[in-house]
Amino acid sequence: MEKTITVTVNGTAYTRTVPLRLLLVDFIRDDCGLTGTHIGCTYEGRCGACTVQIGGRAHKSCMKLAVQADGKEVTTIEGLGSRDNLNRLQQAFSRYHALQCGFCTSGILMNAAEFLKENINPSEAEVRRALVGNLCRCTGYSHIVEAILAASAVRHGVKPVPPPAGTEPDR
Amino acid sequence: MYPAPIEAYFAPRTIDEALHCRAEAGDDSSFIAGGMSLMQAMKARLATPPALIDLNEVEELRGLAKGPRGVTVRPMTRYRELAVTTALHGAMQAIGDAAATVGDRQVRNAGTIGGSLCWNYVASCMPNVCLCLDATLVLVSLDDGERTVPIDEFLIGPLETARRDDELLVEINFPAPKYRGVASAYRKYGGTIDSLPIIGIAALIEVDEAGVCTDVRFSVGGILPTAQRFDGIGDVLRGRPGTPEVFAEAASAAAEAIETQTDHLASAHYRKVLIRTLGRDVLAEAHARATGG
Amino acid sequence: MTAIGETGWIGRSLERREDARLLTGRGEYLADVRVPDCLHLCFVRSDHAHAKIGEIRLAAALEMPGVVGAITGAELSTEMQGQKIPVLIPAFAANYRQYWPLAVDEVYWHGEPLAAIVADDKYAAEDAAAAAEVDYEPLPVVTDPEAALRDGAPRVYDDWDNNEIFATSYTGGFDPDQIAKNDAEVEALFAKADVVLKQRFHTQRCGVCPIETRGALAIWSEADGLTVHLTTQRPHIERLALADLLELSTAEVRVIAPRDQGGGFGVKAPFYREHVVVCHLARKLGRPVRWVETREEHLMTVSQERDQIHDLEIAANKEGRILALRNRGIGDVGDGRQGVYWGFVMPSLGSVMLPNAYDIGHADIKLRCAVTNKTCLSPSRSFGALPTRFALERGLDMLARRLGMETAALKRKNLVTEFPFTSVTGVHHDSGDYVRAWDALLERFDFAGFRAWQNEARTSGRYIGIGFACGAEFSGIPSDVLVPLENQPGYGVVTMRIDPRGKVAIFEGDAPQGQSHETTMAQVAADAFGIHPDDVSVRHGDTGTTPLSSGTIGARGASYTVAAIAEAASALKAKMARYMIHDHGLEGASADDFSFRDGAIIYEKDDNVRRDFAALADRIVMGSINVPPGEDPGLEHTAYFEAPKPMICFTAQAAKVEVDIETGQFTILDYATCEDVGTVINPIVVEGQVQGGVVQGMSNAMFEEFLYDEYGQQLTADFENYRLASAADVPTVTVGHSPTPCPDHPMGVRAVGEGRPGPVPGALANAICDALAPFGVEITTLPLKPEMILALIEAGRAGNGG
Repeated sequence: MEKTITVTVNGTAYTRTVPLRLLLVDFIRDDCGLTGTHIGCTYEGRCGACTVQIGGRAHKSCMKLAVQADGKEVTTIEGLGSRDNLNRLQQAFSRYHALQCGFCTSGILMNAAEFLKENINPSEAEVRRALVGNLCRCTGYSHIVEAILAASAVRHGVKPVPPPAGTEPDR
Repeated sequence: MYPAPIEAYFAPRTIDEALHCRAEAGDDSSFIAGGMSLMQAMKARLATPPALIDLNEVEELRGLAKGPRGVTVRPMTRYRELAVTTALHGAMQAIGDAAATVGDRQVRNAGTIGGSLCWNYVASCMPNVCLCLDATLVLVSLDDGERTVPIDEFLIGPLETARRDDELLVEINFPAPKYRGVASAYRKYGGTIDSLPIIGIAALIEVDEAGVCTDVRFSVGGILPTAQRFDGIGDVLRGRPGTPEVFAEAASAAAEAIETQTDHLASAHYRKVLIRTLGRDVLAEAHARATGG
Repeated sequence: MTAIGETGWIGRSLERREDARLLTGRGEYLADVRVPDCLHLCFVRSDHAHAKIGEIRLAAALEMPGVVGAITGAELSTEMQGQKIPVLIPAFAANYRQYWPLAVDEVYWHGEPLAAIVADDKYAAEDAAAAAEVDYEPLPVVTDPEAALRDGAPRVYDDWDNNEIFATSYTGGFDPDQIAKNDAEVEALFAKADVVLKQRFHTQRCGVCPIETRGALAIWSEADGLTVHLTTQRPHIERLALADLLELSTAEVRVIAPRDQGGGFGVKAPFYREHVVVCHLARKLGRPVRWVETREEHLMTVSQERDQIHDLEIAANKEGRILALRNRGIGDVGDGRQGVYWGFVMPSLGSVMLPNAYDIGHADIKLRCAVTNKTCLSPSRSFGALPTRFALERGLDMLARRLGMETAALKRKNLVTEFPFTSVTGVHHDSGDYVRAWDALLERFDFAGFRAWQNEARTSGRYIGIGFACGAEFSGIPSDVLVPLENQPGYGVVTMRIDPRGKVAIFEGDAPQGQSHETTMAQVAADAFGIHPDDVSVRHGDTGTTPLSSGTIGARGASYTVAAIAEAASALKAKMARYMIHDHGLEGASADDFSFRDGAIIYEKDDNVRRDFAALADRIVMGSINVPPGEDPGLEHTAYFEAPKPMICFTAQAAKVEVDIETGQFTILDYATCEDVGTVINPIVVEGQVQGGVVQGMSNAMFEEFLYDEYGQQLTADFENYRLASAADVPTVTVGHSPTPCPDHPMGVRAVGEGRPGPVPGALANAICDALAPFGVEITTLPLKPEMILALIEAGRAGNGG
């Protein structure tokens, strides 16, 4: 009923013996102590507050078992940019007041960060569609959409960079 | 909120390994694909498999291949991949239409076409699309080897398919179109954007060089007991030009013929309204694609 | 970035000081608080909406691995008193029913907690709860509030005479004779009116569930008593109630609202029964106990509001001037057992707010509230007023159509124009210029050119409409209202402390959940002292360190707490000035002769006489010799702010929609508001509050509905079935301003947090009806489901002869 797994979270390998049924989100929060990833649903996996990246792709970590992440690279909000060195998206969120209570924010950032890699010049409608998997109750979304648009590579005059190693290839 | 205790977990790398894991894990064990539905059921404790065979590491079950006889989509191909591929444009484009609007980005990054087919939830897209596109499914098991099941025999009822628990879906085959003027399309309405369909419509149209419909397949999802094809639509459309009026007439015939149910999301009547309006629009879109418009 | 020492912080869209931690996953929410040796609690909840509880079999659960203990309602009721205690009871006459945190003998709604199990781990606790077996003897279920109020209806509580928990009149005074006289006067006005509109409106059960659910973590210590971390908007009220219920000295109870809370919107304001169980078991077991609510529990238990029926009548003359209103409201309050609000306070305030921003001279407004076998209503932003906003704003549109007038013109004609104004229900409107804001909104929407465009669109088969609504909303509520309403004070209070390094600390007893207090309150204090906001810290939520306050409710932050900050700063500045006068021998100078800017205090008559702010603080706090006669050392002050009457802010809102007449589906093409929020402390924060409130209103209006079947079973206990709007479902909301400073606030602020969702359903429904005017569509119910709209179109077509 238990298995020893190694999950690399934000570059650090965590080797733990976990129950097979342990949800990845609980592994991240309780075993790794990374509490920036949040829980807002019971079983439905609808709110998106638990979104992390696995192999560079946004996933809801409440819809995965920890054992399914064995050997994988996971990035959580804590791995996105530090307090003293916020990345472009985090900076835009602050500048555009794209968060109020902040509870949904980690999940939105982890989803949006991947989205902006695959769409370097999105329209407002595309940003809104990309956010369907993340519910926010405070902001009414307008500032979030503005922040993501502002952080897009083309708006920033940044050349797109190839996805980093470890990103799951498209097929 | 948390799954019931799980006794065993397997992460096979090949189909053969997966089947042997299944044999080892025993009768109540379950394969898990993208997990978007099964995990919900497990967390709600509606499903309590004591053992899981995770298919996510089985490379052979992923990707799609185009051949002279049609397209083979492997079941562990994710919605995201189906949504962006151009390989399905034309006759199989309904798959991409559906995949691009399933759930949300995170769901599309994880969820798979095969998982959706084997789950066969009423409010889903893939069973409906595959029904419309006349898919043939290949199932394998240790006991019986390989067998082929046409989609209309595969889909039985809510959360019920012809797949035995020990069988693994390994291929979803779509027949090649007879000629160039064939295209399909899919749309749904679920209340909120990209949500589970209250009604989803898939249509495939064949046209001649003048744009006249030579054949059509039309199917409806979101109804009980499972997605359903309405073949009577061919009588309305065959031999007629693709005009809005003709598509409206055809979709109305479908709405009239198909039995719909009332639940807290919509009445039977409103479901017919959706079949009529979405049906007309999907036919028009498929026709436009078929004629290169 | 702004240089340190620069002043003029108020009015700037300063980036928030909360953001750095929240953007990097370092927020401190309830579920993030970790203590060793902690137990996890899981509730066993009723499968039935109304039943006698038979045997509860927990033996199997107790034998499961990791399970430490369990308790049932019967057991708990012998260990503590019931929850009908004075601190949780408002001053209204109503049927306040005794209850315990876990059901005893009988359950009254599907999901009511009846037992609790604690285990070493949350998975084990859930396993054990699933193994609990309960016998039920089902009883008749009451789900329709109107039927519930009829004579002879099956009763929710068999020892009550009927199902009425509360009923009152809001007009004509308190004396029955006066009320009868008023009602007769209103009837006379109806009799001579040119036009009378009579219509029933229904708003469905929905609310504003935050993304963070509720939770509690209780720690018992023999030395300190109970420390409980709690998702709450009002830690001090929780503390008093917990102490009373658990029969502890208040000195033994400390409530800590986490520094970060994932939204509240009123849902975290009531005193909930689950918290009590967590605290009780922590004490009983001598180990920390933690409960984090699941979404399913949340949607079955809280966040359910609105749910009112209004039979509204409007009498008007042919010029469209409202002569009188009559309204008979019905509130479906659920089981009516929930401290402080008891389910009926929300619909009651809704009736008070019915006349809104309109100058209505006469009214007869009455409300009856019924208990039903549903969970008790808990507050949601717009507190009871969304249903009455919807009823009146829709009713006025219907009236205008009947008179052949533009609704925008009719509404403008009836707006309050002379201030101060007291509504027929006693709501004080301090000041404002509602007409100016209204006109600004119409201009923003190019209303002048709209009709031509609309007509042209119709000729090509497109149905476009515009709809308006407004809201005169409370900006906090003073003691004058809050003491009778909720049995607690309304004043704003802060303790402000300046340390020897010139750092200003503000302690507030409120508990924000995303309202940006750490930023906006720092802006206010920084401005007052001429220092940088980074030199101001704001601490909130801990009853151990903050002054007693009624909490973060009803838009109190910017109105009451900020006003208290301004007053505390004034007091401390005066003290610092007196030290300057003393130290520099400035005989005859007064506090007004000093300015605080650029990190210094400066004598205006001779700016060579100046002291660094921090140096002066150090001198006063640390250098306590040569103290001015009569002065104390130290720089700490607690200030209270009380407003004489409620302060009011105003919002005018407009929607432009396009409706597909084949399906009834609609798209919001544009949505804009024009706000009078007085002095704006941080514009982007205000914009965010408005946009968030409006989208909550949209989501409520379009998608959200708690459904119960005929057996009282809840059908909407997850986010698949209880649908919230996503980003793709709503447009960008544009926010305009037409400010008038509030005369009752020291800085002219009108706080904006509460009321913004209220007008939205009316504006949207009005826009849809405007688009569909050719079919005579008049929406009277929510939510705005396309199927309902299509049915109205089809009925209209049939009525028009096809």
